[in-house]
Amino acid sequence: MKKLKILLAEDDFATRKFMLKFLEKYGEVDVTVDGMEAVDAFLMSLEDEEPYDLVCLDVMMPVMDGYQALMGIRNIEKQRNIAQEDMVKVIMTTALNDERNVKKAFELGCTVYSGKPLNVDKFEEVLTKLGLI
Amino acid sequence: MSEEFNTEGMLDMYLLENGQLLESLQETVLNQKDAECFDEDAINEIFRTMHTIKGSSGIMMFDNVTKIAHKLEDIFYYLRESKPDNVPHLELVSYVLDVADFISAEMDKIRDGNEPDGDPTKMIGKLDDFLKQIKHEITKDDKKELPPENVYVAPNQFYIAPVSSNESRFYQIIITFRPDTQMSNIRAYSAVYALKEIAEDMIYYPEDIVSNENSAEIILRHGFRMLLQAQASQEEIRPMIDTCADIEKIDIREVTSDGFLNSDFLKPIEIDLDSPIEEVERKAAETEQEEEPNKKAKDVAPGDYVIQSKEPGKAKQLNKNKPAKASKQSFISVNVEKMDELMDLIGELVIAEAVVLQNPDLKVPGLELQNFQKAARQLSKISADLQDVIMSMRMMPLTTTFQKMNRIVFDASRKLEKDIELEVIGENTEVDKNIIEHISDPLMHLIRNAVDHGIETPAERAAAGKRDKGKVTLLAKNEGGKVWITVQDNGAGMDRSKILKKARKNGLLGNKNPETMTDKEVYQFITYPGFSTNETVTEFSGRGVGMDVVVKNIQTIGGTLDIDSIPGEGSTMTMKIPLTLAIIDGIVMETAGSYFVVETGIVKSFVNAREDMMIHEPDGEEYIMIREECYPVIRLGEYFSLTNEKIAVEDGMMVLIELEEKTICILVDKLLGEQEIVVKPIPQYIKKVRGLSGCTQLGDGSIALILDPASLIG
Repeated sequence: MKKLKILLAEDDFATRKFMLKFLEKYGEVDVTVDGMEAVDAFLMSLEDEEPYDLVCLDVMMPVMDGYQALMGIRNIEKQRNIAQEDMVKVIMTTALNDERNVKKAFELGCTVYSGKPLNVDKFEEVLTKLGLI
Repeated sequence: MSEEFNTEGMLDMYLLENGQLLESLQETVLNQKDAECFDEDAINEIFRTMHTIKGSSGIMMFDNVTKIAHKLEDIFYYLRESKPDNVPHLELVSYVLDVADFISAEMDKIRDGNEPDGDPTKMIGKLDDFLKQIKHEITKDDKKELPPENVYVAPNQFYIAPVSSNESRFYQIIITFRPDTQMSNIRAYSAVYALKEIAEDMIYYPEDIVSNENSAEIILRHGFRMLLQAQASQEEIRPMIDTCADIEKIDIREVTSDGFLNSDFLKPIEIDLDSPIEEVERKAAETEQEEEPNKKAKDVAPGDYVIQSKEPGKAKQLNKNKPAKASKQSFISVNVEKMDELMDLIGELVIAEAVVLQNPDLKVPGLELQNFQKAARQLSKISADLQDVIMSMRMMPLTTTFQKMNRIVFDASRKLEKDIELEVIGENTEVDKNIIEHISDPLMHLIRNAVDHGIETPAERAAAGKRDKGKVTLLAKNEGGKVWITVQDNGAGMDRSKILKKARKNGLLGNKNPETMTDKEVYQFITYPGFSTNETVTEFSGRGVGMDVVVKNIQTIGGTLDIDSIPGEGSTMTMKIPLTLAIIDGIVMETAGSYFVVETGIVKSFVNAREDMMIHEPDGEEYIMIREECYPVIRLGEYFSLTNEKIAVEDGMMVLIELEEKTICILVDKLLGEQEIVVKPIPQYIKKVRGLSGCTQLGDGSIALILDPASLIG
């Protein structure tokens, strides 16, 4: 199995610890604690030509929230003319499960919207569907 | 659907929308089940419905639903593009309904928090065969070409529902410290720290307990307030907090997730005694204005969920305070509970009105009451209008209930291989919401009976020389303050001798002479438990449970069931149901110092009995002969053990009540009058009493018990 390059943005320590443990199975995980850092890290990975395969964003975060970070990431990709199919897969993880929250995330180009507490089995299933594992 | 209202969870929306789609799909399909083929609109609608369900199920990752919806969509894609002839229409109809059933069943599983694990493979196989057949039809005469394949585009966005979030519970916690506690802020933080282990989410006030020493004072004055989301019970949480001796009291209360999110629980109530009143009011108005936008659902925008400060120990605060635009609405949806409450209050009002207008004080001789009477009339008019309005608000048409029956007739007639049509008349008749909920089951039963027992097989019909199709008529109408719902079939009708034979076998006849019984009396036997004349048990009926349950259900809502039948021409079952459960017309009677009420509608007559009309059996039972008929007598006072004295029948009054062709006589001391009765349930703390269905308050404030004729007779 190919090792994935994963970016995790999560401000809550306990969740971060849990997610890190879970995601480390699939590859190398970089951890950021707010949306701004996440966008920075994403940009850096493009500069280094080692792009991420998967970005996991929390929604409620300091400085920039998950929506802003997602918009930032998609805008950078557009600017760099990255083709639709090569765009990074973004998974939003959040306790906000209102339909309007989900719709907004999809509008902004998120790939998977996953409610918290995390359904681990479904999470793996979706990674398979996306062709990541 | 307007954006403004979508505060439902993603999963709830999925279930709601698809549920609605499937419902209208069924309606469309059943409307055209007897046509040659689906018309273009129907094909488009089914195609679109399946497409939508496929799409949303794909996003939700319910793969089995996605697959089957896609397959059906495929079929309708070819129908839409090529319009082939000779499509076996009935087969197609049942396929569509099967798929709709499958999806509904899966959605039920999801709703209950289970995995949708139904296996669609077999059904997809069938659909595949059917599709091949259609494709064959299209290419058969070489005139048409197959349209391009309907390619399945997998969704590129997914939603994962949280693991059954209902395991998370929400708590409001208030910790009160002893007034002399030192550094209560640090002690509060130790509680926060202890709970962090189990907390999925936690907010507390004051926020800056560690860094701000002044917070100690606030904590002492108002208590330390926390909102906690965790998968733990109160018993588990309490010992985690209750660790130091300075804690005086811990108050833990479980709340709903809504209460958790929208709570202003954290803000302690400040009572401002020093400022002038204008100042206080102004402040209140300001806070109200500030809070207003929070309550309204509004569109999400990036940046709404930025947590503004990230100092340690500070509670999360969202940047979500933009005012929402005001909107006009001419409809609001109201919680049914509130409607019930309003109904109750109006009931109380009617009682209170009677208490005032029939007040004993008014009976003092020589009072000049002209003006009072005028005012009283005005009051009565308004309260009557008020009753009418609340009634009309609670009224709902029977349309949806009747539509369900369409499906039942279709399914049953296919499985039983009978050709049956359902005619619906008066489906717009309106009935109280509570009653609609109660008639669905009995109605379903009557319809099944009509289809199964009533209508003959095509062969039998042909033999009987009946040329018309089997037909079940469902009719609703308003008559005399009641709703009549009739289920009529043009089948074989009921066989008097068969029923009598069975009744004799089951020992139901007693010492009655079958020759003298009227047809209606004979037909009543089918409402006895365990009575079925159908020799063969089918999937739909014939197990002998049923009619007795139907009758019981109808009686619980104060209704009656009439059975009539003409051999060879069919049977008619008529439910007569009161428009509403809350207010009835009743006769008030007195016996042994207690008041009783019986519904006016079932009282047949009042009789001044004489001792020579009575028949006394050795076992103490009494009967009365009235106009050559013999009826059992219930002495109400003895029945409820109010008295042991047997009053002479000449001193009392016999009330004949009739229900379901059975008549009994009730002996009471005297009649008081007729009036509108507001039905109240008997309070919980009183054990269920046989013979009573409720209670009410009379004009003079005394309590009257409402008799339940069904259990008195039975």
